[in-house]
Amino acid sequence: METINKISWEIRNDIGIITLDNPPENYLVQPEFMPLETLKKWTSYDYLKGIMICGAGKHFSGGGKLENLFRMIRDKENINESMDKGKTVLEHLENLDIPVVAAIEGICFGGGLEVALASHIRVCSENALFAFPEINQGIIPGLGGTVRSFGRIGFPKAMKLIMSGDMINAEDAQEMNLVDFIVSKHKVFDFSFNFLQKLTRDRPLTVINAVMKAMKNARSLSIEEAMREETRMFCELALAEAKRRNGSREIQK
Amino acid sequence: MKIPEYSTIRLLLDEGIGLLELNAPPSNAMNMEFFKEFASVLELVRCRQEFRALIISGHGRHYSSGADVPVLLKEVFEKAETDDYGRLKVVPDFLSNNYVSFLMLESFSIPVISAIRGVCLGSALELALFSHFRLCGEEAVFGLPEASFNLVPGLGGIYKLCCISGQALALERVLKGSTFTSEDALRYRIVDKVVPKKVLMPTAYAFAREVMQDFRVEKRNLYVKKYLT
Repeated sequence: METINKISWEIRNDIGIITLDNPPENYLVQPEFMPLETLKKWTSYDYLKGIMICGAGKHFSGGGKLENLFRMIRDKENINESMDKGKTVLEHLENLDIPVVAAIEGICFGGGLEVALASHIRVCSENALFAFPEINQGIIPGLGGTVRSFGRIGFPKAMKLIMSGDMINAEDAQEMNLVDFIVSKHKVFDFSFNFLQKLTRDRPLTVINAVMKAMKNARSLSIEEAMREETRMFCELALAEAKRRNGSREIQK
Repeated sequence: MKIPEYSTIRLLLDEGIGLLELNAPPSNAMNMEFFKEFASVLELVRCRQEFRALIISGHGRHYSSGADVPVLLKEVFEKAETDDYGRLKVVPDFLSNNYVSFLMLESFSIPVISAIRGVCLGSALELALFSHFRLCGEEAVFGLPEASFNLVPGLGGIYKLCCISGQALALERVLKGSTFTSEDALRYRIVDKVVPKKVLMPTAYAFAREVMQDFRVEKRNLYVKKYLT
């Protein structure tokens, strides 16, 4: 187990587990979530088939500590740079070519919700609570949460979430597609871990990587470009599979 | 209007509504010939004013079981241009042409409605996803089984599923590769309506007659709300 800034990392059965480990609320020590270099190092093992993000204890994360943020501003630390770093970290997470599941128990606020939004699948407990409380302090989510929530739940609902600062419960979160699965309390970790294992265990990494790249393309490219890439990846896999079935690549062309 | 004969497709036209039937019994597998003919059918439908709506369906009990994997692998193996290390250099035309056909279908200015019964798997589901509307009969069987052959959907299936059903569902359906039901498909927003099998075609025709009056693709969800709920 490795730890940095109260975030810990371990690998279990080819699944990497990132634990927000600052109980009880698992506040993020750094507004930028965690150092990019560390995340890159942790996720670089080439046998990993998936990543899970969870909180230690009863909650996922209360997000960044506002006192820290305001202290940084008072001390004229470069908050802009810190936020930019954070965005890069979450972009890296979102663009990994293995699936990332956020396993959410209890509260998931602010920066915590932004981390969850950068994940590909969100599982939460029936007592989970979600919010962007930033507006109450006259600020807005700063790690791409505004943009990602528009993408995930649509403009009107994202606006309401961000502008009101209101909390929403698990059921409402699922209704607006903010979460994908609701499971009973204390079952979130096991469900997420098993789900991720079931998805990936019988699949070679080449297939998992291709699916993840295609999903990334769906987020970032035009439909024409995304389809060209999808066909290309299909073709690469088909070629490999044809060779595998033929037993050798020396088969007569 | 004289409609040409095809070997894997039946094309009919009745009062402005075209019916494109995949026709390769028993399961209407999409072979090489199908994709070639499909491209020329689309060209014909696009150019002829007489077509004011297009329904895509399968002849007999099934929509289609999708591409034939062994045939496809063989074609890719023979036609893909590779470098000295056997790595892919150029995607063969026959594959690129397929996705271009799907994009063309989606860009039609007339409504395209897939009417699905029986199996709708792999490339066939991708074809359906590029239709503007999808109706299905009860007990239809859907799936993107490519991953179980160490492949991925290659004709926009991942892209479309992401947009329609969201990332989590796309990931689950594509990586698991298992089949799912009409009710699941409705829940995932992959189909717009499920009806008893017997009334599938009449429902599709009735819907086509309504929506071809003033079809605009950006009003898709309005038509679904108005005529299919």
